[in-house]
Amino acid sequence: MLLEERDYFTDRVVLKDPYDYFAELFSKDPVYQPKLRDVMFVTGFEEANAILRNTQDFSSVIAVTGAAVPLPFKPVGDDISAQLEQHRHEVSGSDILVTYDGPRHTADRALLTSLFVPSRLKANQAYMDELAEKTIRDVVARGKCELIQDVAVPYVTLVIADLLGVPADDRDSFKEVIAAGPPPGNIDAEEKPHSNSILEHLARHFVGYVQDRRAHPRADVLTQLANAQYPDGTIPELSAIVGVAVFLFAAGQDTSAKLIGNCLRFLTEDKALQQQLRDDRSQVAGFIEEVLRLQGSTKVTFRVARRKTKVAGREITAGQKIVIALSAANRDPRRWEEPNEFKLGRKKVQEHLAFGRGAHTCIGAPLARAEVKTLLDRLLQYTSDISLSVEKHGPPENRKLDYEASFIIRGLENLHLELKPGVGGNS
Amino acid sequence: MPRLMVVTRAGEELSFEANPSSSVMEAIRDSGIDEIAALCGGCCSCATCHVHVDPGYVAKLPPRSEDEYSLLHGLGTFKDNSRLSCQIRVADAVEGLKVTIVPEE
Repeated sequence: MLLEERDYFTDRVVLKDPYDYFAELFSKDPVYQPKLRDVMFVTGFEEANAILRNTQDFSSVIAVTGAAVPLPFKPVGDDISAQLEQHRHEVSGSDILVTYDGPRHTADRALLTSLFVPSRLKANQAYMDELAEKTIRDVVARGKCELIQDVAVPYVTLVIADLLGVPADDRDSFKEVIAAGPPPGNIDAEEKPHSNSILEHLARHFVGYVQDRRAHPRADVLTQLANAQYPDGTIPELSAIVGVAVFLFAAGQDTSAKLIGNCLRFLTEDKALQQQLRDDRSQVAGFIEEVLRLQGSTKVTFRVARRKTKVAGREITAGQKIVIALSAANRDPRRWEEPNEFKLGRKKVQEHLAFGRGAHTCIGAPLARAEVKTLLDRLLQYTSDISLSVEKHGPPENRKLDYEASFIIRGLENLHLELKPGVGGNS
Repeated sequence: MPRLMVVTRAGEELSFEANPSSSVMEAIRDSGIDEIAALCGGCCSCATCHVHVDPGYVAKLPPRSEDEYSLLHGLGTFKDNSRLSCQIRVADAVEGLKVTIVPEE
């Protein structure tokens, strides 16, 4: 069976290896529509870049719900901008920042940019160091762990909670709620509305924080967020502040936790690489970039054409839904030499599209890089060997690994590690 | 809406109206000029939106933050009028602000 005959949105063979599927589409055309769906797949680097940067012709409104769900209206004519705005609220997830377009997106995003500047991350670094140190010492002492749910998810949740200034007493409840929720883009629930229950729980807390800090300002991050102004000096509605804060939790959890899993997959399957990084931990940052390129935790993102336009000479009709395969663009042989090979030190590797590009570039990318680097650094420091559990995942020649059933997220559901203590202490 | 003047790497001068709620980086990108990578998306973390501000306008802009300066001053193309265009709000920019996109390092 040709991979093309499989349905990207529901097929478990494609879920396990989306890269072969995308490579097959790319070999036909970097902008290609498989027969199964009225959806255009963009697998080329330049083509993906062009669409990501073009907010005039392409809308992000379907970024959460995905390209497989029908639009709530029948597109008419060569410019559906007015129709799209009229029906925007009917699109699932359209109250979330990633789906905003134009000035509203620019303004709400601006509320967040100050949270991710280097000096703020530096302030957050001390907490990350302390948390990573404690977390890794604990699991190394136990000699084993399930990395994703037991280590990565709690770690990234607590880090973003610290960055936003969530009181320590509330952090555990956030951790529990997030750990219990499914990731976005569940392949078994394609037609169902996006589950917002986690976001609602977080929103209730943030409404309280923002109201409190607006009434009683303190010298903390929540006060700064609560009193953030739009670039034109106007004060955002309470709901806008709560929306962007909650969005940060939702967007950063699965992606960062899965990135940690994808990194450890590489390290455990290539022991020479593992030792190389342990011997010289200054290479960890470059290692993460190459993992982001080859196995970034966001496989795809979605756009819909608001106007009739062209991409790389191919006509796109207004209303055309598009899958931008970030993970395929990151393996485009026209951009990357030996694209499927893991190579440390690729030139300009940070130009990969794992965090997207253009107006919707992942705002948390600097945090993701810092928190993953911090955790890997400690893990390598305190171990002499990290291996996959043969009992749980089988022998190297026949690994059993379960990928999260999502058409958006690329990451393992669980990863059981065995850890041999090292000399530690050396930094 | 305020007008911006941008000199591209090829030396072409382009003038356009910019959305006051955006940063100069976003305004340049939205105008269709694709020479600014802005890899970090605008949070003062990557220095790929480096511009030289026309000397006449430097003093009229809010000053660089320490974060911005620390990223800029390590660049080979750093000059006294260097700015990260993601850190200049269009709303703070004076009418006719002129910036030159700096060559890639």
